[in-house]
Amino acid sequence: MRPLEGVRIADLTWLMAGAGGLKLMSALGAEVIRVEWHGRMDWLRFHAQTPIPYHQPDHAELDPQSPNRGGYFNAINAGKYGISLNVKHPEGRELFKRLVAVSDVVVESFTAETMDKLGLGYEVLKSVKSDIIYYQQPGWGKKGPYVKYASYGPIAQGVSGLTEQSGLPDPNPPAGWGFSYMDWSGAYYCAIGMLLALNYKQATGKGQYIDGSQIEPAIYMTGTAILDYVANGRHWQRSGNRSQFRPAAPHGAYRCTGADRWVAIAVTNENEWRALVREMGQPGWAADPKFATMGARIPNQDELDRFIEAWTKDQDAYAVQERLQKAGVPAGVCQRAQDRMELDPQLKHLKWMIPLPHSEVGPWPHRDIAWHFANLQSDQGGPTGRSAPCYGEDNDYVYGELLKLTKAEQDRLRRDGVI
Amino acid sequence: MTGFLSHVKVLELGDEKGEFCGKLFAGAGADVIKVEPPGGAGTRGIGPFYHDESNPERSLYFWHFNFGKRGITLDINTAEGRELLSGLLAQTTVVIDSLPLDTMENLGFTWDALQKLNPGLVYVRITPFGRSGPWRDYKANDLVHMALGGEMMHCGYDPNPDLTYDTPPISAQMWHSSHIAGNQAFIAALGALFARGNTEAGDYIDIPVHQAISCCTEHDVECFLFTGRPYLRLTGRHARPEPDAPTQYKTKDGRYHCIIVNPFAGGFEAAVELLQRKGFADDLGSDKYKDPENRKNREFHHHFYGQIGKCVAASNLEDTWHEAQDLGIPWVPVRKPEENLNDPQWQTRQTFGEVEHPELGRSFTYPRSPMLSDECPWSTGPRAPLIGEHNEAVFGGMLNRSADELKRLRERKVI
Repeated sequence: MRPLEGVRIADLTWLMAGAGGLKLMSALGAEVIRVEWHGRMDWLRFHAQTPIPYHQPDHAELDPQSPNRGGYFNAINAGKYGISLNVKHPEGRELFKRLVAVSDVVVESFTAETMDKLGLGYEVLKSVKSDIIYYQQPGWGKKGPYVKYASYGPIAQGVSGLTEQSGLPDPNPPAGWGFSYMDWSGAYYCAIGMLLALNYKQATGKGQYIDGSQIEPAIYMTGTAILDYVANGRHWQRSGNRSQFRPAAPHGAYRCTGADRWVAIAVTNENEWRALVREMGQPGWAADPKFATMGARIPNQDELDRFIEAWTKDQDAYAVQERLQKAGVPAGVCQRAQDRMELDPQLKHLKWMIPLPHSEVGPWPHRDIAWHFANLQSDQGGPTGRSAPCYGEDNDYVYGELLKLTKAEQDRLRRDGVI
Repeated sequence: MTGFLSHVKVLELGDEKGEFCGKLFAGAGADVIKVEPPGGAGTRGIGPFYHDESNPERSLYFWHFNFGKRGITLDINTAEGRELLSGLLAQTTVVIDSLPLDTMENLGFTWDALQKLNPGLVYVRITPFGRSGPWRDYKANDLVHMALGGEMMHCGYDPNPDLTYDTPPISAQMWHSSHIAGNQAFIAALGALFARGNTEAGDYIDIPVHQAISCCTEHDVECFLFTGRPYLRLTGRHARPEPDAPTQYKTKDGRYHCIIVNPFAGGFEAAVELLQRKGFADDLGSDKYKDPENRKNREFHHHFYGQIGKCVAASNLEDTWHEAQDLGIPWVPVRKPEENLNDPQWQTRQTFGEVEHPELGRSFTYPRSPMLSDECPWSTGPRAPLIGEHNEAVFGGMLNRSADELKRLRERKVI
């Protein structure tokens, strides 16, 4: 049994912060119905084509006109159903309400006032289904003076403080994250909000409206720095890869052989230090009193790091990782995508990638979810058992089986530009 | 009911890998009991500290990650401790276990035994690499996890013109491996709780931190699958296979703005409108650029973003961005966390709130909630527990131990 069997979600999200959360709900077994209209399609549908076959890029067949080959789109929307529906058309709005009437959750990530303007705000949908759960996730939240402001992952990271919390010390600029961390984290909180409301409804019978945002979860994760300012008046300062708040030295990424190859090493106590020194062959410099204790090493890290890197730079990164791990020292290669896919035996053991079929592209590997239930069933294929839906792929199922429209009604709606 | 999960009891055992998940449960209204060894959890030693005083009751890290929980001390390696733990396990809805591998099994609390003790139990097991596999016993900390999971290779500074690097990959600070694993563990646990509501059956959930982190990167896996090309680290913006124009620009007061010109229709025009107002539009408003075809080449990008850079260079940290956002341009100051405290958006949403620390005679401002619900407000406290603060309430109230028995247990250092 899948955990969310019997739960139906009308999905009006796009890009990733919302859509990714619904992917997790699919993996947990909810029937997620993605509502789209070709007049304003998710641009990820046209971005980063999934080549056919995916693993022979040089010989791959591409079709830039197809909305069904967006590679990231197909990854972010796996396990969902998909319908085409023009919610700006008066009949489309009514049809959407019929879908809401048979759903448990409505979720959207438009700018904050879009659904109200369409006449599909929470109060309207609540009158259609009294216990509906409505989860809204505009960038900055619906309540507040910035209701119209825009956000993407890097925007959320920038303003929240997460970008400033990453990078070498001043005068270097912040390094940020190098990807939309707050799209994934936004997706987590989108799923969390819906799951909390579903659990609450199960206990009380009540639906509700949740005003989510992409930026508040980021602020929520900066709490220790907030407290350091509030309690001690201290402003945040970056420290590269060095450990500011938990004594550790060495603690950094060290160059190895090969192009742009690095191994992270973290020594958090004296046992680990002694083991590292043994692995390095008891070099004379390591006997210097300025490296003898954690307290001595921490202020001498510039010099310490040069010694450590002189030792790692002529070795293979994985070889350093293996020998240090065997000796009990926390160490790990700074892995790229290819490393995680081809060299990491643990991820392979955990079966982190699974093939899922896509109706136009065929089967290709997807990252599975990172939780493993003993009994419940959960995987990224979700109830559809496939990659993302093609545009309008499940119209027959949703309009025919679920909403009981006749074939003739569906044909008319199609002619009239509603579906 | 007031919180989302007021009907849920959680027992938290272990270290920093599970504390964020427990914090989320507590925020959502569950009764979370944190089990610490006598003397307090090791995570009380993580700084920074209140007034920089290294004291287990003054770890600001601990305050943040254990907000809203109750706390008990218990030596689970003693026979009496095991018995007390067994009594608590029988009464709880959820366990979050991030203890070293095999700890609970060696105490006799195998999943089979736990199911007999409490058939509806939802057991969340967070381990560094999983309970089996070639790296099962590997040691990790936040840095090593962010390296192995792929995050670090996204993050750093622009390469040299020949695409070699003088700077290392960078790990974002402040314990994101715990956040990433904790968020996903919470999602899985909420799914299992919902199923439990329908079937009354619990379940055992494995969350390997390494896998959770490996799944949290954005597109690197798909990009490699489709093109075979690795990403380059680029200063303050997305890693990608080749360098592009910056999105982070230095302000007059030496800070930064992050700007992403909306790729949809109207984004360019809005940016030109702003640049014209500020006197930095140069020729960008000319007819030549009205045709989108003339805005697709590299020279245009450098010219356009160059003008944006000049506009930022004439602004201080908090200047210009509201005007840009009013025009629909995603544009923000790159703030330090504490610079959000007085922002009217977060004040309106009560994103931050005061929390009393009675033993210190004052309150502190905390980030309070990640979302707003009128029906189920996020919990506003209490502050993290003192060492053994709720021993009487829990061992007395839940397990009916008398004051004398508690005194004896304390003397024998069981609690």
